[in-house]
Amino acid sequence: MELFLQQVFNGIMLGSTYAMVALGLTLVFGILHVPNFAHGNLYMLGAYVTFFLISLYQFGFWAAVISSMVILGVVGMLVERFVYRPLIGQPHINMFISAIGLLILLENSVAVVWGTSAKRIPHPYPDTVHLLGITTTQQRLIVIVAAVIMIILLQLFIKKTIHGTTIEAVAQDREGAQLVGINVNWVSSMTFAISSAFAAAAASLMAPIFMITPTMGALLVMKAFVIIILGGLGSMQGAILGGYILGLVESLGGGFISAAYKDVFAFGALVLILAIKPTGLFGKESN
Amino acid sequence: MKYNKFLKQNWLYLLLLIAALSFPLVISSRYYIQIMITALTWAMAALSLNLILGYTGQASLAHAGFFGLGAYSLALTTKAGLSFWLALPLAGAFAAFIGLFIGLLTLRTRGHYFAISTLCFGVIVFIVAGSWIEITKGATGILGIPKPTPIPIPFIGELSFTSQTNQYYLVIFFLLLFLFIIYRLVNSLQGLSFMAVRNNEVLAEAVGINTFTTKLLSFVVTNFLVGMTGGIYAVLMGGVSPTVAGSNLTFFWLAYVIIGGVATMAGPIVGAVLVTFLMEYMYSLGEYRLAIFGLILIMAIIFFPRGLVGVFTRLYQKIKDYFGGIRGGGAGQNAAKSRKANETL
Amino acid sequence: MKNVLKLGTFALLITGLLMFAAACGSTDQEPKAPEQEQADDAKAVDKVEKEPIEVVIGFTGPLSGPAAQYGKDNVNGIEYGIEHINSNGGITIDGQKYTFRLEAMDDQADPTQTINNARRMRDQLDVPAIFNPVFTSIAPLMDINSEPDNEFLMMAYSSTPAILHLDNDLTVRIPPSFLIYVEAFADIAWNEGWRNGAMLVTLGGYGDEWREAFREVWEHKGGKIVADQPANYYTETDYSTQLSAALATNPDFLLVGGPSEPTALVVEQARDLGYKGPILLVDQAKQDHVAKILGGTDLMHGVMGVPATADVGTEFAQEFKKGYEEKYGVINTWEAVWEYTAIHALAAAMEEAGSVDDPKAIREAFPKVFPLTGEEYPAEMFSMGPRGAIHGFGGVQRIDDNGEYTTPLNYVWWTDSQDVLDEIKGVSQVGQIELMKIDE
Repeated sequence: MELFLQQVFNGIMLGSTYAMVALGLTLVFGILHVPNFAHGNLYMLGAYVTFFLISLYQFGFWAAVISSMVILGVVGMLVERFVYRPLIGQPHINMFISAIGLLILLENSVAVVWGTSAKRIPHPYPDTVHLLGITTTQQRLIVIVAAVIMIILLQLFIKKTIHGTTIEAVAQDREGAQLVGINVNWVSSMTFAISSAFAAAAASLMAPIFMITPTMGALLVMKAFVIIILGGLGSMQGAILGGYILGLVESLGGGFISAAYKDVFAFGALVLILAIKPTGLFGKESN
Repeated sequence: MKYNKFLKQNWLYLLLLIAALSFPLVISSRYYIQIMITALTWAMAALSLNLILGYTGQASLAHAGFFGLGAYSLALTTKAGLSFWLALPLAGAFAAFIGLFIGLLTLRTRGHYFAISTLCFGVIVFIVAGSWIEITKGATGILGIPKPTPIPIPFIGELSFTSQTNQYYLVIFFLLLFLFIIYRLVNSLQGLSFMAVRNNEVLAEAVGINTFTTKLLSFVVTNFLVGMTGGIYAVLMGGVSPTVAGSNLTFFWLAYVIIGGVATMAGPIVGAVLVTFLMEYMYSLGEYRLAIFGLILIMAIIFFPRGLVGVFTRLYQKIKDYFGGIRGGGAGQNAAKSRKANETL
Repeated sequence: MKNVLKLGTFALLITGLLMFAAACGSTDQEPKAPEQEQADDAKAVDKVEKEPIEVVIGFTGPLSGPAAQYGKDNVNGIEYGIEHINSNGGITIDGQKYTFRLEAMDDQADPTQTINNARRMRDQLDVPAIFNPVFTSIAPLMDINSEPDNEFLMMAYSSTPAILHLDNDLTVRIPPSFLIYVEAFADIAWNEGWRNGAMLVTLGGYGDEWREAFREVWEHKGGKIVADQPANYYTETDYSTQLSAALATNPDFLLVGGPSEPTALVVEQARDLGYKGPILLVDQAKQDHVAKILGGTDLMHGVMGVPATADVGTEFAQEFKKGYEEKYGVINTWEAVWEYTAIHALAAAMEEAGSVDDPKAIREAFPKVFPLTGEEYPAEMFSMGPRGAIHGFGGVQRIDDNGEYTTPLNYVWWTDSQDVLDEIKGVSQVGQIELMKIDE
């Protein structure tokens, strides 16, 4: 029982990252139809920026996380403007290629600038906590709580603010939104900024627990794609729920069935589910 | 007369063929021959990718997965004592068979969904190759794959494949075979329905094409060819490890197709040879090399979505039109003709 | 018009790239200059008439991608060794002086690129020997290193016995077999009275072999493996899933490891989950490196693994560590230590063979250059096995319950002869040495 609880906790922590990354990805893929395959690399970049701010400029942990979000937000806008916007209206594979180009560019640029050895951010909250028979660290609890807060804030932003509602409007009907005077380009920029900032936040929160390497986002982005497709493209609730579910599946499947094949479960599930329902589990028929 | 016309129309291709065949005779450097072998092997993989991606419009990102299936299949069967010449088509058939199954599952999806679900399958192949130790020997891979069984030639002796030059000709032979197969397929009635599906699936369905079986056929043929390519790769390297199924390979092949020219016969080969040599040339850039490659890829897709072959045919046409114009008349006609020729190309 | 513009930009881009390539190519040459100067100095002192000839030694391995740091540790070791060889005047054969230069090429651990790189280095630089630290790349290299008139010496950095099973006449295996650690760990654990072991070793060729070998030895002794939860240390960063499952079986000890950085994470996460027992590190992970990442040995009480390179107890080890870490700004690893010693062995073998370009002769001369001992080398090498395995110590070092490193125990693993052991004790600077024969 203790083991089960421990695995559930591990799953939730893992799921928090997945949810934040998937949420960012569903904004750009589900809403703007940009298969941003470089999303994992923006995540990676976010972690490096945080590391850089803390180790070189002695930023406090939270100040660094927030600065990293802002910086990645700007990077996201640039990416949208120069890598994806020129390709709107072309065959879908073109954006995919562009994304792959960006992925290769980012991964190797980071390796050139910061080197390939793994980096580590010192633990801001290293103490161990005992809870309901589970042993964990404060940092892990902070990841879980911070993820929930940020997800709620994003929901509020999108539902309750003018800027946020324009995103939803574009998601529902691009042409219609344009007709009522919404600047679609601006909305695209904003969406990319939010998406990248979220990736940066997830990476920065996790950074003290994990190692930072140029390839840290490679597998994560695949998982995020799995999540948002299962959760239904463009559905934010689907991405959040999917993120936590995948985290749990991995920790329970990995812990109780087979650790070596735990990633196969996720990717296998996607292939099968798409075979049965070609537009995703909760997806609506789209173009 | 007929002979003359053939020469006139195809002189460029004949020249290229002669160049390709005489390459190892002129160039003695083992390094350049090796790069050429690599480039042409990748060209084969890019050619088959072009069939499903360029001509049928389905972005299969499981290409390296099927390449890996073929490579492992050949490794296991030849190690078990089967002749290379039987093991190779078997490797293709194995990849095609799995491809049929995966196609049935994934081809119901469209666009990005298809790309991502095939990518997932590719990753599964990669993980299984690394984890199913009993069969695949895990990350160490299978070593000591024998070189192709020598072909006995009456009175002369036998043709063996231990020398690098002969391995080069082996690759050339299969590359030409693949080119021929794809050329015939694309220019057949079946090829037209591939392109109809690519151009407008709904319309294709409306005129009575069974789009699902069309896509499935293209997918299976693609995987047969790439499975064989994997087999050739395995025998040339003398071993396989999970890297043969890595999605990086798929990404690179995609880049070759795009940079060379999507939905053209020459594009994948041009792309593969050019990029491989360029990457080798840029070697001194060290770590910057791949970063620059990423940048080139983005620029290429934004500015030249039709690739180098696209650029050159347009340029060629312009020059032709220009001179046609000077000679007076017939320019428009000429252009229309060559444009048509391009499309069939 | 627009098209012309596009073409123009493209042409400009390509030209720019090529110029950049050319520029970088020339910066590559720059570091040669000081070496040249040193060689000139040495020449002036020795009053040798002939100009020294530069011999290029090849390396191909991962210098980018997930295993990049591992590749760089190897390159650093070879490069540092070459620097020392050159500053001591290189080698002399028949009155002709030779100095060395390392050409290190990146292959991202992709065997296709490995072969391309090897071909290039053979063709354009005529390298007599190529170093490679990745088993899946070494195997295809061994497929092409015996072509008539195109032979090269394969300097293989891989601790797996599989290298020897390929039975290649032109191969030198540099590090000791990992089977030493398997046997030593099992021995020590058994004598401590531990019976139930849990494993969380990296996936991959090396890790798979390790797990398999340890299970066999351990179960042969009568011990039990209560959990085998492998994780991919190269791609994963959270090991709590595997750790929770492994620790739930209440093991007496935990066997973990892969590259040092992720191994540090595993150790930390195990302690975070409340595990206080002993942790055994497979030989790829280095405890001093792990301790550096974890900011000390606080979490590492009861850890056992490969000795810290500086603790082997030879004169030169400390000096090496200081110079190396100053020069490269990274912790010195066993890769660097072995490669440094191996390039010296190679240079000595060339001198012995009287040739810098005949791989067969150099390989035949190799066994004659040993022993290389602690006065001048950070690692000691004593002899060479028939299939090209260099015989150097494998050792184990433990961290006690106060977080202090204990004196390492070193094993002579290639023989069970007491005489050989005594002989080695006579020349070695290392303190504790024991016999433990391994069958590869």
